[in-house]
Amino acid sequence: MIRSLPLGAIALALAALLPAQDGVTVYRNARILPGGAPAIDNGVLVVGGGKILAIGGADTKAPNGAAVVDCAGKTITPGLIDASFRAGNTPDMNENGDEVTPHLRVLDSLEPADPSFVRARSAGVTAVHVMPGARSVIGGLGVVLKTHAKDPQAMVVKHDASLRIVMGAEPSMGNRAIRGGSVDSIYYRRPTTRMGVVWAARKAFYDAKEALEKSADAPPATPSPGVEVLTRVLRGQVTAVTTARSEQDLRTALRLAAEFGYRTVLDDAQDAHMLVDELKAAQTTVMLGAPSATAIAGSAGADGADPRSVTARLLADAGVPFVITTGSNAASLDLVREAMFAARNGISSARALDAVTIEPARLLGIDQRTGSLQKGKDADFVVWSTDPLDPAAAAESVFVDGIAVQVLR
Amino acid sequence: MLRCTLLPTALVGLAATLSAQDLLVRAKTVVIAPDAVLADGRFLVRAGKVAYVGQDVPADAAAKATAIDCGDALVVPGFVLPPTTLGRDRDLAEAALPFTPDLRAVEAFDPWHEELAKLPHGGFTSAILSPSPRNIAGGLGALVKPGAGGGSVAAPDLHLALSLNAAARNPERPPTSLMGAVDLLRSAFAQAKSSAAAGPDVAVLHSALQGNRKIAIAADTLSEIQQALDLARDFGFDAVIVGARDADKALDRLVAQRAAVVIGGLAPEMRLAQLQFPARLAEAGVPFCFTGRPDQARLSAALAVRHGLDRKSAWAALSRAPAQMFGVAGQVGALRQGCAADFAVWSGDPLDLGSALRAVYVDGARVHGELPSAAANPASSPAAGVR
Repeated sequence: MIRSLPLGAIALALAALLPAQDGVTVYRNARILPGGAPAIDNGVLVVGGGKILAIGGADTKAPNGAAVVDCAGKTITPGLIDASFRAGNTPDMNENGDEVTPHLRVLDSLEPADPSFVRARSAGVTAVHVMPGARSVIGGLGVVLKTHAKDPQAMVVKHDASLRIVMGAEPSMGNRAIRGGSVDSIYYRRPTTRMGVVWAARKAFYDAKEALEKSADAPPATPSPGVEVLTRVLRGQVTAVTTARSEQDLRTALRLAAEFGYRTVLDDAQDAHMLVDELKAAQTTVMLGAPSATAIAGSAGADGADPRSVTARLLADAGVPFVITTGSNAASLDLVREAMFAARNGISSARALDAVTIEPARLLGIDQRTGSLQKGKDADFVVWSTDPLDPAAAAESVFVDGIAVQVLR
Repeated sequence: MLRCTLLPTALVGLAATLSAQDLLVRAKTVVIAPDAVLADGRFLVRAGKVAYVGQDVPADAAAKATAIDCGDALVVPGFVLPPTTLGRDRDLAEAALPFTPDLRAVEAFDPWHEELAKLPHGGFTSAILSPSPRNIAGGLGALVKPGAGGGSVAAPDLHLALSLNAAARNPERPPTSLMGAVDLLRSAFAQAKSSAAAGPDVAVLHSALQGNRKIAIAADTLSEIQQALDLARDFGFDAVIVGARDADKALDRLVAQRAAVVIGGLAPEMRLAQLQFPARLAEAGVPFCFTGRPDQARLSAALAVRHGLDRKSAWAALSRAPAQMFGVAGQVGALRQGCAADFAVWSGDPLDLGSALRAVYVDGARVHGELPSAAANPASSPAAGVR
């Protein structure tokens, strides 16, 4: 045992350094939490060609000649998925030229070498959903990315994964009302108020609905690219994600969606604990942002939400589907710690882990590729030093598509 | 003040006298182009252009021409400075509007501009005057030249200068973000592709997509470079990437899309990977040249040679490559028949930093230095020759 431990450590490090895609690697003796399925003690995970080849108990067959990594005492989980992830530098994430830019793609503003991806993957996060910044009412189209790929284009898991809508004070913050004098800046414009923000969103959807109705009788004229994106949202082809924190903004988000007949996911949603019944009735999924944070940070602070540690439990008890994210809160912890915090406040460990793995994968529509450890899925997984929801847990090895992106000793 | 006005007039007179008669330039080494070097070479200049080279010079014309004997010096094509505002950013950045492809850099050309007049001090005989990269679509560049009697425009309305770099994203006017900038260019190109008659600005893009002029895009970070290459791919043009700080990360795509790059100048304190990058570009077959101050271009090329770049490619980076990239290779960047007689006389290979610049000629007229005498300069080292 004494001899096998350092050997195991060396093998782990070695397997990580070698390009895992070339050969087949077998991870043995680990406790495996596959995501959306019961835990496997003394589990075996077989990985090759960037995919999961097999997973199961100790008797799982592995090909001859495969490299073997002893993971005794370790826990293996799917790579975590952050469904609302801050990346990029703020000026490029927010197109301040207009409040409503549904057709802008956040992917165009993202730098593959952005340090936020490095931080995320070293904390066990292998896929993220990035949306345009929160300074626009309708900021544009989000994208789902792996946190590592050889070629930046290969990072993309799903284009146009969402349309971001933002309620509350944030989109109107830079704007100034015109009160005489000369207008010397593009920021002298509406909206300057909460109701102005809703007006901008309502007008955009009104135009889109009108375009949709017109195109029903007559052959469609070429709509503006923004209207075209909104009509796709109205048809249910693109998921609307509305960022709203305070109770009033959450209610507004639901009202607006009902008014125009689209479904929306609620992002951040710190005050979700105040309207659990309405959320259930609206069959809305909640992307709960940074459950550990006691206040909403930065420019969103003016939204006046009142975060509670029990929110995740209340949603779980009421059967409101939810995922856990780091959200737009700069005070958020690593994603796994946010799951830990939710578990500490009353949801089961399995549920907490699902809320950062398979549940966000389903929500984002990428569960055919990642989000759980299943034969045929991408080899996105994390070898933790101990149970991942233990406060002392460290992501010792992190793999994206079978490539080691993090190796600790 | 009186002298100031008289002096240029006198020089204009001199230039006129010189260009009136043929010149026969002789030197121990004449570099016609990086891959055409003549030993004991000569060429005949007529009306400011290279009329005959080497053996082709007719005997009677040679006999009648004024001889410029450069002895054992080296005559090379004048260097071509890639896109520059020559320090006139305020005149070349219509930054309040992001999309002005129909503005012409030539309208902001000042023939008496000091920086232009200084170009020959570094061996440069022409420059690509370009709208500033502070606009998403800045306008059209021009080939300009210094001259003893004031500068001149050799080719107006050359390339279309676009920009996706940080300078183009202005928080005071839309677009303020990279995604907004990309969207602006993408929709403009889409419009230009479908119709030519959508106004003078889109018409310029349409004409560029037809292949009538080169398209240069300022881009530094990897995502900016990728966006530029995506535009080139989707709308079918060969891009010139200007700035290209992260180009090493996109080398495969640059090769695949036949893109050219204008990279930043080199300095001795840079990281090894940066200093070796020109050699990697040459090996991959990506045309490149150096931006930066004209007095540093020679140092950049010499450092690149020091770190593995072959001399031919280094010479090309200073002359032929920028000329080809911006579509003026028939006029400048080489001393082939029909090209402008823009040349510099060096005591040795300009890539050896010990070599001194003796004289510079633009359109066959001397704009810098002394007339070379037949006597060989004892200071020139025999080791400083051409390989």
